[in-house]
Amino acid sequence: MVKSPITNDEFIKKVGLFLDNELSDKESRDLLREIQTNPAFMHILKEEQTFREFIKTKIDRRKPSPALIASIKDKIKASSPI
Amino acid sequence: MVAQATQSMNYDRILEEELLPQAEALLTFAYHLTYNQQDAEDLVQETYMKAYKAIDKYIEGTNAKAWLFKILKNTFINDYRRKSRGPAMKELDEVIAYQNRENTPYISAHAGLAEETYESAMGDEVTMAINKLSMNFREVLLLSDVEDFSYEEISKILDIPIGTVRSRLNRARNAVKEDLQLYAQSMGFKDNR
Repeated sequence: MVKSPITNDEFIKKVGLFLDNELSDKESRDLLREIQTNPAFMHILKEEQTFREFIKTKIDRRKPSPALIASIKDKIKASSPI
Repeated sequence: MVAQATQSMNYDRILEEELLPQAEALLTFAYHLTYNQQDAEDLVQETYMKAYKAIDKYIEGTNAKAWLFKILKNTFINDYRRKSRGPAMKELDEVIAYQNRENTPYISAHAGLAEETYESAMGDEVTMAINKLSMNFREVLLLSDVEDFSYEEISKILDIPIGTVRSRLNRARNAVKEDLQLYAQSMGFKDNR
């Protein structure tokens, strides 16, 4: 029985799982084989990687101030029985 | 008495070595839940207070980050969400509206989401796009794409099935992509493929 070719939507779903480390080793290998056979799939993979990287690097991260850390420690110390 | 003091010193060491290093991740998550720096700091403080009270239940060297995130999320639901200054009241309608869009297609790579789209978007647009998501979608995106939790960890932190994590994540990513795409188009970027 001939396996039907993977569609773009199916491929994008799989790429998402692949980048999330949610595919098994076999599924990952199969996906990488699909990518080798179709340059458009490589393009999709790169775009998904770029998107993930972009979210991670551009998100507004909040650094805790030394005052916040000191306050946490003080409150814990004050509530501690010893 | 000596044993108690030794135990206390051990807990302090766990606090310093395993729990406090997660403060930045917790504060970032809290900020994107509450939309407010002061509320986020209060939430993080409360999280650490609760974690320390329950520290005897924590097994040293295990997943402190996931443990703290679960405490923070529960604290947020119980203590903060009711008085949140953000658009929490719109959440239900937003979720229903989004979930009614059954079979939401995955955003194709050929729908105009080229690398240039992301390069043309500044950090503020990314944060705004994420903040526009309803809570259910925002939290999975933050936990996965910003904090690198696995589906299983997210499932445990949020108390939802792994299948729900997967579907919410897909929808959240699609919504952010759509938003960034619209932004890029408004800035004059055109997809020429």
